[in-house]
Amino acid sequence: MAKSVQAPIMGHTLRRMMFFLLVILTTLIALGLLVSVFHTDGLSPMELLLLLLYTILFSWICMSFWTAFMGFFVILFGRDRWAISRQPPATPPDPAAPPPRTAILMPIYNEDSTRVFAGLRAIHRSLAETGQLDGFDFFILSDTRDPDVWVEEELRWQDMVRALDGKGRIFYRNRPENTSRKSGNLEDFCTRWGGRYRYMIVLDADSIMKGETLVEMVRLMERHPGVALIQTPPVPVNRESLFARILQFAGSLYGRMFTAGLNYWQLGESNYWGHNAIIRIQPFLEHCGLPKLPGREPFGGEILSHDFVEAALLRRAGWEVWLAYDLEGSYEEIPPTLIDYAKRDRRWCQGNLQHLRLALSHGFNALSRLHFAMGVMSYAASPLWLLFLIATGVEAYLQTQQELVYFFGENWMPVWPVSFAVEMTTVLLVTLTMLFLPKLLALLLLLKDGKLLRAYGGLVGATLSVVLETVFSVLTAPVLMLFQTKFVLAILMRRAVGWPPQQRGDHMTSFKEAALAHGGHTLIGVVAGVLSYRYVPAFFWWFIPVLAGLVLSIPVSMLSSSIALGHKARELGLFLTPEETEPPPVLRYLEENLEEDEPELPVLREKPASRFVQALTDPYVNALHLSLLPQREPPGKRRRHYLEGLIHQLEEEGPDSLSGAQKRDLIADPETLLRLHALFWSRPPANAGMLP
Amino acid sequence: MDRGKVGAAHPYLAPPVAAPDGELLFSRLGAYWRALGVTNPAQIAALSEQALRRAVELPETPGLDPLARVLAAAGELLDDWLARALELPRPSRELAAARAALLSGVAPDWPTLLFAPPGEAEPLLDTLREFVAEPTPEPVPGVMPAQRIELFSLLGPLTRLWRQPTGA
Repeated sequence: MAKSVQAPIMGHTLRRMMFFLLVILTTLIALGLLVSVFHTDGLSPMELLLLLLYTILFSWICMSFWTAFMGFFVILFGRDRWAISRQPPATPPDPAAPPPRTAILMPIYNEDSTRVFAGLRAIHRSLAETGQLDGFDFFILSDTRDPDVWVEEELRWQDMVRALDGKGRIFYRNRPENTSRKSGNLEDFCTRWGGRYRYMIVLDADSIMKGETLVEMVRLMERHPGVALIQTPPVPVNRESLFARILQFAGSLYGRMFTAGLNYWQLGESNYWGHNAIIRIQPFLEHCGLPKLPGREPFGGEILSHDFVEAALLRRAGWEVWLAYDLEGSYEEIPPTLIDYAKRDRRWCQGNLQHLRLALSHGFNALSRLHFAMGVMSYAASPLWLLFLIATGVEAYLQTQQELVYFFGENWMPVWPVSFAVEMTTVLLVTLTMLFLPKLLALLLLLKDGKLLRAYGGLVGATLSVVLETVFSVLTAPVLMLFQTKFVLAILMRRAVGWPPQQRGDHMTSFKEAALAHGGHTLIGVVAGVLSYRYVPAFFWWFIPVLAGLVLSIPVSMLSSSIALGHKARELGLFLTPEETEPPPVLRYLEENLEEDEPELPVLREKPASRFVQALTDPYVNALHLSLLPQREPPGKRRRHYLEGLIHQLEEEGPDSLSGAQKRDLIADPETLLRLHALFWSRPPANAGMLP
Repeated sequence: MDRGKVGAAHPYLAPPVAAPDGELLFSRLGAYWRALGVTNPAQIAALSEQALRRAVELPETPGLDPLARVLAAAGELLDDWLARALELPRPSRELAAARAALLSGVAPDWPTLLFAPPGEAEPLLDTLREFVAEPTPEPVPGVMPAQRIELFSLLGPLTRLWRQPTGA
């Protein structure tokens, strides 16, 4: 592989040593305070458990805190001199070398086609404005199974090609089988067309990236041939519900500090977040083929969260992986409601827990192991917090059951119990500081840049937003803790949690949905509140923030999903982000595309009840779909019988009697597709409007 | 649900006609040609006649009633012309793509050119070539071998020690 170009190894080591020393020292100090409280009369098993949990959880908070703290200074004093964007080129550019070709990949799976293509068009337009469009091709890599969405995607793709004169530059394919999900989708691209390109930029269905950013990513890769992957920090945008706007604000304001901090101590051993990243294709092909893990799910089988593993494999092979924290113009959309946020967590949880096995695998770099461990802790922290809270409550109860003895042994003077209020208050204050100081630091950073401060709503608006965001995060944290605990336990017990797919677009949470999702949380909050008030009244008052979050979970979930409240908050200058205050052109293009949506293809202007039926009846849609089917062996005898049965079912009972998979099977076979087209025209269904 | 009863009472598609008369054949063919963009009645009549003749040449397809067979022949007729004019193999994705391009509205006067002398259709063919969809580029196959990940096990270090001498 190409020679590494990163900054002196000594500097890297110093940064990491400093980071880990700070984490360890802070943890030890807090632990020391707690031990001094517990140790007076020996350590009980419960106290030992508390100490162990506190150590794990506090070190987890410490890592986050020190990352933010380092990020604070990086931004305060200007840019990081060892950032990938600041490093000189490893080798002088070869003027004779052919210009690089880059594929922009958008893997999709049953997504809203209108949004997907509106986003792609916005990116295309932004890229065209840089004058560098020729170096890029676009691939829509569909794993969509829903037949209606599949046909819609094909039409939208063709419309985009027509509108942007994109023949030979904008491609579409739908995989017959979605083996290995997203990682399999990308692998399919790499093994079929990867050889045509030097780089691929991987997007998500809701990713948006500025053209300039895309060009800059390629430029950085060209300058640093030892780098295999550059991740950009995606900023959350475009949502309008109160919940999403609060998260967007937090992600935007605090996120830049955290990413700067992460880059500060991780440098060329950073991580991959699965999208909004550029990848050098050759090393990816050579080193990132994912194996199946031995054993059963949840820890065995296909690797679900492939991104962390791919980054670790690249690092294992000696390639650098960077987080370009200072590269702006990378955006994503986030779930619009608390419930949708939890649904996304459910999908991610299993993949991250699987990393537990990988963290201990042979051959990975130390920092890759840490990334795996951090992925595990993102979810494992919740059951640990819950356990910690329960253990604290039990310990507090046990303490209330002990009678104080003032005279013992041969003492004739009373022995007063020692108060540890100072130590306990210090522990609490240190923990709270670790949790909330980064928010304050992020706010302070705004004072450095007046324009940025105004973009966040001015000093008053930004401060008020931070305060309200803090209250909101305190209220939702216990709910997310219970959700994630449930997910972790369900996965460990191999049980399905059984939720419908996540809805990406803005929508209100109904009372029924909220009650079903949070009824249990409310009940737990009430019972825990009554028990603690009855048996450990002193603990009850400390416990109130957690209890309040649980008891109020239904109204908080419903109200925060409100788009009207999101708009109102915006009118009041709350939770503003620079992307809202002054949207960059690429986000404006997306909005325009969604608002105008005037397709070139007449067939797209119609909104038929079913695109599946349209693929059978409309001669153009039928021919286009036929032309996009992959060439396959003709179906075998059993398959033909199966398809024959489906045709008869469709003839007799109509499309509503067929499942999505059955409809897909019918339109995935070229012969069947043509036969059904002829059948529909010879014996049109009533009210189909096919005959004059 | 008793599917048999539902199917027998109200089938979704109209029941097949075993021996359709000429009026029904021309009516269905006319509707289909109009859906393809042919509006001139004389052209519709001529194309329908050709489709009827083409239907006789079609190989037997189980499950296609006589009316559906004639309609399939109409599609074949169009493909015959496209394959000949654009020199495309059949059946092929390219041919289907050419048919899609033809029906997409880029050349609304295609029915007239279908009946014109060969040289006059050239501009139409150029337009079609330009608008034929190209869903994917030519592949450049590569391999992506599955990587070995040696998961942690308590016996792992011993296994590695065991392997080392034999490997050497």
